[in-house]
Amino acid sequence: MSAIEPITLSEDQLQLHPLGRSLFRKAGIVGVVALAFTFVVSLFTADLRERFFFSYLLNFTYFLSLSLGALFFVALQHLTRSGWSVVVRRLAEFIAANVVLLAGLFVVVLLGLTHLYHWLDAEHVAQDSLLQHKQPYLNLPFFLIRCVFYFAVWSWLSRYYLTKSVELDESGDVNLTLRMERISAPGMILYALTVTFAAFDLLMSLDAHWFSTIFGVYYFTGGFVGFVSLLALLAILLQKSGRLRHAITAEHYHDLGKLMFAFIFFWGYIAFSQFMLIWYANIPEETGWFFQRQSGGWGWIGLILIFGHFILPFLGLLSRYVKRRKKPLAFWAVWILLMHWIDLYWLILPEYGQEWFFFHSVLDIGCFIGIGGLFLACACYLARDRALIPLKDPRLQESLTFENA
Amino acid sequence: MSNTAIREIDNTANDPSRRPLWIVGENDFTSVTETVCRITEQPKPPRAWYIAFAISSALTGMLFVMIAYLIAVGIGVWGVNIPVSWGFAIINFVFWVGIGHAGTLISAILFLLRQKWRTSINRFAEAMTIFAVACAGIFPAIHIGRAWLAYWLFPYPNQMAMWPNFRSPLLWDVFAVSTYATVSMMFWYVGMIPDLATLRDRAKTRVRQIAYGIAALGWRGSHRHWHRHEYAYLILAGLATPLVVSVHSVVSFDFAVSLLPGWHTTIFPPYFVAGAIFSGFAMVVTLIVPARQYFGLKEIVSLRHLENMNKIILVTGTIVGYAYSIEFFIAWYGGNAYESFAFINRAFGPYAWAYWTMVSCNVLAPQLFWFKKCRVTPWIMVIVCIFVNIGMWFERFVIVITSLHRDFLPSSWGYYAPTWVDVLTFIGSFGLFFTLFLLFCRYLPMVAMAEVKTVMPQAGLEHGHHRGVGDYHGEIPHAHEPEYWEKG
Repeated sequence: MSAIEPITLSEDQLQLHPLGRSLFRKAGIVGVVALAFTFVVSLFTADLRERFFFSYLLNFTYFLSLSLGALFFVALQHLTRSGWSVVVRRLAEFIAANVVLLAGLFVVVLLGLTHLYHWLDAEHVAQDSLLQHKQPYLNLPFFLIRCVFYFAVWSWLSRYYLTKSVELDESGDVNLTLRMERISAPGMILYALTVTFAAFDLLMSLDAHWFSTIFGVYYFTGGFVGFVSLLALLAILLQKSGRLRHAITAEHYHDLGKLMFAFIFFWGYIAFSQFMLIWYANIPEETGWFFQRQSGGWGWIGLILIFGHFILPFLGLLSRYVKRRKKPLAFWAVWILLMHWIDLYWLILPEYGQEWFFFHSVLDIGCFIGIGGLFLACACYLARDRALIPLKDPRLQESLTFENA
Repeated sequence: MSNTAIREIDNTANDPSRRPLWIVGENDFTSVTETVCRITEQPKPPRAWYIAFAISSALTGMLFVMIAYLIAVGIGVWGVNIPVSWGFAIINFVFWVGIGHAGTLISAILFLLRQKWRTSINRFAEAMTIFAVACAGIFPAIHIGRAWLAYWLFPYPNQMAMWPNFRSPLLWDVFAVSTYATVSMMFWYVGMIPDLATLRDRAKTRVRQIAYGIAALGWRGSHRHWHRHEYAYLILAGLATPLVVSVHSVVSFDFAVSLLPGWHTTIFPPYFVAGAIFSGFAMVVTLIVPARQYFGLKEIVSLRHLENMNKIILVTGTIVGYAYSIEFFIAWYGGNAYESFAFINRAFGPYAWAYWTMVSCNVLAPQLFWFKKCRVTPWIMVIVCIFVNIGMWFERFVIVITSLHRDFLPSSWGYYAPTWVDVLTFIGSFGLFFTLFLLFCRYLPMVAMAEVKTVMPQAGLEHGHHRGVGDYHGEIPHAHEPEYWEKG
């Protein structure tokens, strides 16, 4: 075995400061301006006004899925008492805690509910026996109650992990770790149920006729693979800015790359299960949803997903070489984040309609920059005076020194 | 022989600042080798082994008598009839394939996840996997009616220019299950080679020396051998991982590609996989608790191993409960009258007794594992796991029978009941499983000795000085690869 350079963390830059403050300000301003601009553009025509809410929902559910992926990641690390991930866990805790911001941004979705969900249109429902059948579930008060419940659970759980983890930085009390581990098991059950039904409510009910039992898993999987990619990207960017240069090693990138690889495969498995079973049985009540996504230009987006969200990253991330190097890993992380966005685009936008013109994309991109900017600003705010790694985590040493065999 | 005197050492306490010891007691490499090899090396197995073997091989004999009777007389000896044309045979097939999922999950997925505790149980679980898949394979083969033409399932060029129907999920099963059986067997064998060499080197008789010598493929334990071996093992783990998921997914396709209410739903593939892992682990726990007790393996298969397995049972049992609930919800939400009828009929129809047996055994029973006492008390976990096994058999019963017995034409509705041939064939399959299992316990190393040694403190891999003298190794872990990932 070759000699190893002894390096201590005390030489490492473990704070986002002073970059964090300026980033917070810039990202926040960009986000607010982009959202305001998009909103103004949407006022031009009634069509754009309706389209704005679809663009907003697309980007809202996109960033929500990343936060939920982060929440799952944090809970999973505690549930399995993982050691390797300690140095990247704080970053995940920040992203997960961003769900509080998204709870606030959800108000805009509420403003557009009647544009988005046809089951809220009383006249429409009166002529549709299927929607009448679903009224006990798909009605406004119950929908709102559920949404409050989802965001309450996610906000509470993500805040719990962040505050306890920061407390641990001060005290080094292992009982805090034990408490976080203990909450993870029931937390996971709550998580699974809330994410499933949130996916049903926010996305599946856009076409309230259609149903698929795997849909919750589908939304979760896309979000998780998106989040792991985001985590790898964040780590690379932070190291580039001179932070965590000693804490995060090629071993951590290797493991994050493995997770990206595994969940790209898992996404392909879930997407295939959903598509193949519906295609094979060929029952009109189910195939309508896919039929809409295969006609017009949507078929091309479906093909982009098959290759871009599954086959290419699968081949690209297969190699150990790629997973252990920053540049190729960063490439695939950005690629997967883009594909996850296209995946949600393909889930949501066909419900708006077939026609497309330039300003639709302006709205999509505007909302992306808007919500994305606020998302980044909020993460910087959460990181303002906190360390970027859990400083006194009992498994920190293990995480710093572990090696892939 | 029986080492029941060994006391139970509790290593289940959780201290986040240190990793637990997996092998408890005063053990070193020699004692591990001794403990494991002794089981196969004693001249005669204990009397209980003979008794168990006599019973299980008698049951195996009964299985083959039943199969002979079936082939001689025809499928009419079973209880299947329209509308329930799939009965015990398919239920038993899915049940046994499901049991065969724990082994490869432990060997492949837990290996990739660096779960060190797998080393004490992987050999045992993999052996079980292979025997379970062998039992599973029998049922579809005898179900096809003319069992002597079972080879027609394989697509091979023939003068009849006749091909199997590639669009049928039953054919996909042939490929999925045979691939799984092949890779699992290869994985099991490759992992066993160093241990077979140990048995060869310790052999006292010429016969043993030759037999284990051939099986060990000339293993010498050189660095090069180990290097190749570990590489092969890693690659096989990578190949076996998607297989763990694919096999039961394909089995679920048998049902889910159909138009039948209660069968056709998109969550079936992952739900079946979770159920399979659930039942597989339950079977491992059911068998390993008496085995560790009886063969003196309590220090190698510690309470913490059992606790971890019970946690996996709790997780997968809860996933199965999640799938039941989502299915029920969507059956209502979808608004399809037939789908909701199928589910209400399951829960409150003539087979309600089977449905509630399934729910109590699969969803309620494992909830006991929220309590640590239940996770670490061997007799409690065995009882819970037997319930899980019963529940998982009933799950397949509920899926197969309730969706079929009341089809779209009420005049053809019926009530399926198995015949004595069905029941005895099923019992006979347990005989085959246990016969193979007892032979394994007697003649092969039940624990992966070489792998267990790598997780013992004596191996020095845990806190080895090879990690350098400093507190942390940073961006430059090894001098011979300076900042190589920086270059991208």
